[in-house]
Amino acid sequence: MAGERAVGLVRELHRTTGGSLPPFRTEELRQALEEMRALYEQNQADVSEAKSGRTDLIFLIRFRHCCLLRNQRCILAYLYDRLLRIRALRWECGSVLPNAIQFHMSAEEVEWFNRYKKSLATYMRSVGGEEGLDLTQDIKPPKSLYIEVRCLRDYGEFEVDDGTTILLKKNSQHFLPRWKCEQLIRQGILEHVLS
Amino acid sequence: MFVSDCRREFYDVIVNQRVLLLVASDVDALCACKILQALFQCDHVPYTLVPVSGWQELETAFLEHKDQFKYFVFINCGANVDLLEILQPEEDTVFFVCDSHRPINVVNVYNDTQIKLLVKQDDDLDVPAYDDIFRDEEDEEEDSENESDGSEPSEKRRRFEEDVIERTMKRRQRREWEARRREILFDYEQYEYHGTSSAMVMFDLAWIMSKDLNDMLWWAIVGLTDQWVQDKITQMKYVTDIGILQRHVSRHNHRNEDEENSLSIDCMRIAFEYDLRLALYQHWSLYESLCNTSYTSASLKLWSVQGQKRLQEFLADMGLPLKQVKQKFNSMDMSLKENLREMIEESATKFGMKDLRIQTFSIHFGFKNKFLASDIVYATVSLMENAEKEGPETTNFIKALDSLSRGNLDKLHQGLDLAKKQLRAIQQTIASCICTNLVISQGPFLYCSLMEGTPDVKLFSKPVSLSLLSKYLLKSFVCSTKNKRCKLLPLVMAAPMDVEQGTVIMVGIPPETESSDKKNFFGRAFEKAADSTNSRTLHNHFDMSIIELKTEDRSKFLDALISLLS
Amino acid sequence: MSEAYFPVGPGLGLEENFLSLDDILMSQEKLPGRAETSLPRLGFALGQGTGTGDAITEGSKLEIPLWLAKGLHDSKRRIISVELPKIYKEAWRTVLSADASVVDLHKMGPYYYGFGSQLLNFDNPENPEIAQAILQTFISRFRRIMDSSQNAYNEDTSALVARLDELERALFQAGQKELNDFQSWEKGQASQITASSLVQNYGKRKFTEVDV
Repeated sequence: MAGERAVGLVRELHRTTGGSLPPFRTEELRQALEEMRALYEQNQADVSEAKSGRTDLIFLIRFRHCCLLRNQRCILAYLYDRLLRIRALRWECGSVLPNAIQFHMSAEEVEWFNRYKKSLATYMRSVGGEEGLDLTQDIKPPKSLYIEVRCLRDYGEFEVDDGTTILLKKNSQHFLPRWKCEQLIRQGILEHVLS
Repeated sequence: MFVSDCRREFYDVIVNQRVLLLVASDVDALCACKILQALFQCDHVPYTLVPVSGWQELETAFLEHKDQFKYFVFINCGANVDLLEILQPEEDTVFFVCDSHRPINVVNVYNDTQIKLLVKQDDDLDVPAYDDIFRDEEDEEEDSENESDGSEPSEKRRRFEEDVIERTMKRRQRREWEARRREILFDYEQYEYHGTSSAMVMFDLAWIMSKDLNDMLWWAIVGLTDQWVQDKITQMKYVTDIGILQRHVSRHNHRNEDEENSLSIDCMRIAFEYDLRLALYQHWSLYESLCNTSYTSASLKLWSVQGQKRLQEFLADMGLPLKQVKQKFNSMDMSLKENLREMIEESATKFGMKDLRIQTFSIHFGFKNKFLASDIVYATVSLMENAEKEGPETTNFIKALDSLSRGNLDKLHQGLDLAKKQLRAIQQTIASCICTNLVISQGPFLYCSLMEGTPDVKLFSKPVSLSLLSKYLLKSFVCSTKNKRCKLLPLVMAAPMDVEQGTVIMVGIPPETESSDKKNFFGRAFEKAADSTNSRTLHNHFDMSIIELKTEDRSKFLDALISLLS
Repeated sequence: MSEAYFPVGPGLGLEENFLSLDDILMSQEKLPGRAETSLPRLGFALGQGTGTGDAITEGSKLEIPLWLAKGLHDSKRRIISVELPKIYKEAWRTVLSADASVVDLHKMGPYYYGFGSQLLNFDNPENPEIAQAILQTFISRFRRIMDSSQNAYNEDTSALVARLDELERALFQAGQKELNDFQSWEKGQASQITASSLVQNYGKRKFTEVDV
């Protein structure tokens, strides 16, 4: 039945919950587009036949047209939902994406991500006075300047604001400026310890 | 050197610096660390905390962090060795050492620039005088200078003769001095013991700065109680320190004494208690607790049929129905619980258990959360040495540390469950050791070795658990044996540690007598025995009396130990 | 759940949401129909007959997805007539009105409400009854869903959601999220910064799945 491939893409994406990004299905997408091209060409042929009197084909043409629209909708929704997920990544993982995630993106998506990143950066520079305002910071209202964090895995050296470095080693615990570690907490390297 | 003004010489120095905390794996250290963390949090002192379970980890941690920090705080580790020699720090590095291990290494005591000891001064430290152990090298240099200056030959000769006499005199003096020095040091270092709990020292600091909170006070109490549970301090010392803390407790908790000023039930309250020394009884059943507390189990000799009978008689004497005693303490009849402590004490005295009640503290918050200080100690110890989950030691440390925060009740309850398992395992092991006569007199000491394959043996591959087991075992043994000489002997206990590497962990504990000063000579003895036999031992633990040893070397090591102590 | 990812939600009532994944999958559900005239060359496309040229004969029964039914529906020329799936028919409507909470809407749906609303696009004489049935079913089941979602804390909820339709599941999840958020606020954990759920997912997947 027509439209199965495209809806398969949607189904996979829908199954992947929690906003994670499944790999980009280049091949399936190509096949769906191929199917659309075939439907279009068949319709072109049948339209000219219908014009020459075979009105019983009109219904068939209409059927193929429905399939075309259906495929279009599925593919658009697939791409759009992926963009929503990729946009969320900028807020959750920061501006540099882990390799595992990048592997799941198409070249166009990577490019889109970079542009989104740039737009956001430009905007954040333009608000909040001279230095701009990092909107990705303090998504939860901060209660103190410093927070206690615990290292969940060996990360290596990490530079603190005054230029000194500290060693982030598994199970070591640190008391650091909140804004310095928020990103690392989001990335799952540090854990925020409430006292 | 000793820090006499903790606030000026310690806290004010580091308050604008970044500090590395190196914390040993014992409950007192955790509590001290908690207090210090709370202080650092209110003053925004950036710190890094690294758990260390032994000397090896301490050295690695130091090497990894030495370039990033200038100030290091050691909690319950470091005082009893020459830190400068072991760690070779840069000249501007400063070590603050808050450690209850005694004796304190003399170099640490007399180094004025790099080592600052945060130790309570009124502990009887008996540190040898400076002149008795250090001698300025200048004298000799003078000598060599004299030799080189050219003078008249005749005068030179006269000078030479004088010199010879003078030098032989000096040399003799020096030899005498050195002999004396060795003697003094030997006396000083022979016994290992424990001073005031680090948590209390830290609490004192907080108090001096008027930054002490009820939470900190509780941690200080738990730190002290840890020393008592682990039998590290004398009864005298315990009672004295309890007295000190009690003053703080009443200062912090007087608000609840009258109706008008009472706080919400959710607020934390600490109260002085003259409570039963039954382990975890409020979270267990009275029966289980009686069976698994070292004191009652040893006094009633519960490993024998006779002992079980005595327990039944004891319960009957109190008039407590078995059904009530065996169900959860929380669900026992209110009417029974009302005078329970007095009732139990009265019967216990008849059965020869005069000290069933002890002075301690309890913490109370919310309707259902009430804990005795010893409950927390047992829970934290078993979390810290949890053998169930594989993984780095430090993960257990972190869990134990978390369980001390009031916000992490779930972890505390997990710890209580583990503690029950541990106490049960200890009593079962004791029963089987005594019933199968595994405790052997070796002459100068008793010896007991756990075989690989004994149930729960894995639990006892960790130092604190093994020490607890040994202490409880010795208590039970002393009650069970009729041999009077054996009652006065110390105990050496060994348990398999790592089967693949073929190592055993060995711990020596002082004799169990009423007047015991809790001083332990096994640390030095182990060292000497190992040296004289070239045994492959590892002194990794901060307590000198706990060592790791290759299984094949065990017998020659023991032989040397016996001849050394005979 | 990721805090920054908000998927396009399903449409309401008669309108589908063009970009909603939920609505796309909902409109993929099939419904029974009948060919009113003979339809040339459609046999293969609709899954009947084998050759590409086969026609569908008049009066033959069809199973077609909702999106196709909607696309081909023409109130003037009835080429394909659409019938009701049995859950929306009289018999089941009676069951639902008797006690809606015992019905396994997941097995019967799983898009009972969404699909039912879409059926109203076809001029079926029973439309008012269908609409009424959907509404009543929702009303009578909602209380229990809300109740269970607000009270199942730290429990395995799979038994609770097993018989819920997709809309109900979404409501249940929303209730659970609120419950968990409230509990963590009460414990003073709301201010804790947590690792991004996206990151956690990738951490887990890295070892288990090697993607093509």
